[in-house]
Amino acid sequence: MYTLGIESTAHTFGIGISDNDKIIANERDTLRPSSGGIIPREAAMHHFKFAPEILKRALDKSGLKLKDIDLFAFSQGPGIIPALKVGAQLSAFLSKKYGKKLIGVNHCIAHLEIARLYTKLSDPVMLYVSGGNTQIITYYNGTYIVFGETQDIGVGNLIDKIGRKLDIPFPAGPKIEELAKKSRHYIEMPYSIKGMDVSFSGIETFISKLIGREKTEDIAFSLQETVFSMLIEASERAMAYCLKNSLVITGGVAANKRLNEMGEKMCKDRNAAFKAIPMEFAGDNGAMIAYTGYLMKDYKQKDLAIRPRFRTDTVEIKYR
Amino acid sequence: MKIIAVGSEAVVYEKNNTIIKRRVRKNYRIKEIDEKLRKNRSKAEFNIMRFLYESGLNVPKPLKYLEEKKEIWMEKIEGKRLAEEFSVNSASDIGMVVAEMHNLGIIHGDLTTANMIKKDKKLYIIDFGLSYHSSKDEDFASDIFLFKNALKSKHNDLYKEAYYSFLHAYKSKIRKEFKGIDTHLKDIEERRRYNESY
Repeated sequence: MYTLGIESTAHTFGIGISDNDKIIANERDTLRPSSGGIIPREAAMHHFKFAPEILKRALDKSGLKLKDIDLFAFSQGPGIIPALKVGAQLSAFLSKKYGKKLIGVNHCIAHLEIARLYTKLSDPVMLYVSGGNTQIITYYNGTYIVFGETQDIGVGNLIDKIGRKLDIPFPAGPKIEELAKKSRHYIEMPYSIKGMDVSFSGIETFISKLIGREKTEDIAFSLQETVFSMLIEASERAMAYCLKNSLVITGGVAANKRLNEMGEKMCKDRNAAFKAIPMEFAGDNGAMIAYTGYLMKDYKQKDLAIRPRFRTDTVEIKYR
Repeated sequence: MKIIAVGSEAVVYEKNNTIIKRRVRKNYRIKEIDEKLRKNRSKAEFNIMRFLYESGLNVPKPLKYLEEKKEIWMEKIEGKRLAEEFSVNSASDIGMVVAEMHNLGIIHGDLTTANMIKKDKKLYIIDFGLSYHSSKDEDFASDIFLFKNALKSKHNDLYKEAYYSFLHAYKSKIRKEFKGIDTHLKDIEERRRYNESY
């Protein structure tokens, strides 16, 4: 069964095609604002502009024509409204035109499913860290439970905000990581973990006051060490509590080597498995939407409108 | 000395009916963060336990604190963790104890059924590793919210009933006006990311 999935929740527009559980195409383009963060309207305009090209590239890569596609899927949420609408409209149009079923997919669950597919870990705890999202998700009693999450902003967003104050362009992650490598001087920062949840806004305020007074390298180093320690600690708590013995890190921030190293060490010390997923499938991508759409092929969904605040734990998982 | 539990941050040993909780070094964290966290948390935990014990709440009797080793020594509570044999009835006992604890101005910070032990029909609360002093409505609410989520993730089948009887018991025992706590409870839920109710 060929499934075509469209991802458009934030700054990435992606189209992936799966042949049952095999990914045969995964094309995308990401908006990189020259200054500041994502402006919703600009994200949507970017997606409109690139949609035809990405669609063509994905079809070429798979060697298929649109009429060969058996199922269409799109990222229903959570995400930015104008950006979400692009994927929703395009997929609805294609599904209608070719008379094929349309499936709405939860973006966060799609991250988890593609992670399971590529790591072959059947039941991991997932630390999902990106610009907008910071969640620790695990499967429990028929749903994906959000075991811990940010109480305010996503960790990637925190890094980007600090980056902006340090004149580092979006996305700031790679540059912050590079700077952090040059330092070994730790500046004590608020370590804010509340039960299973984490909170970052206090750190943002704290760091704002350090800028100009401390070395940029030291700020980058201390920022990474503090927030990643919090995330790995929360992940470990979820693993201990739910008796899970593997961890996957995904989302854009999963590209950070230090975060992976910390995850790996934590897992090693508790005899758990740790696997990184290929970066192509860690950031937002269309393949994960196609694959999750395929898993959900028998779902009967009444509401296929976009859901900007779509919570992970409201989806009933019937295919596991 | 035998290991009886390996938690996410501490190893718990048993020695002659004494429980020793040692916060272990986390290799993934740099020393500057790790040492400080372990020391502060162990000390705070010991002090809170002592305060609650002396106030008559059902908690293990704290014996001593060894700073160098980050160890807390306490009396053993014989019994089963509630996570293993949870029932709706015990939810009401939990509500009582949590309210009493809040009346004393302590927030637990990690209210899960794995941190509760039943002995001689009495409910004991353990693991004050994330506890702190507060009498703010908002902090009371965050404790309740954590417990609600723990119920949802660990005892999903009984969750609604259990939460209801927990809350009913809590309300009957809490000395503050519940209305203020309830406002914050709703607020926390709404503040979370991706709430579709508005």
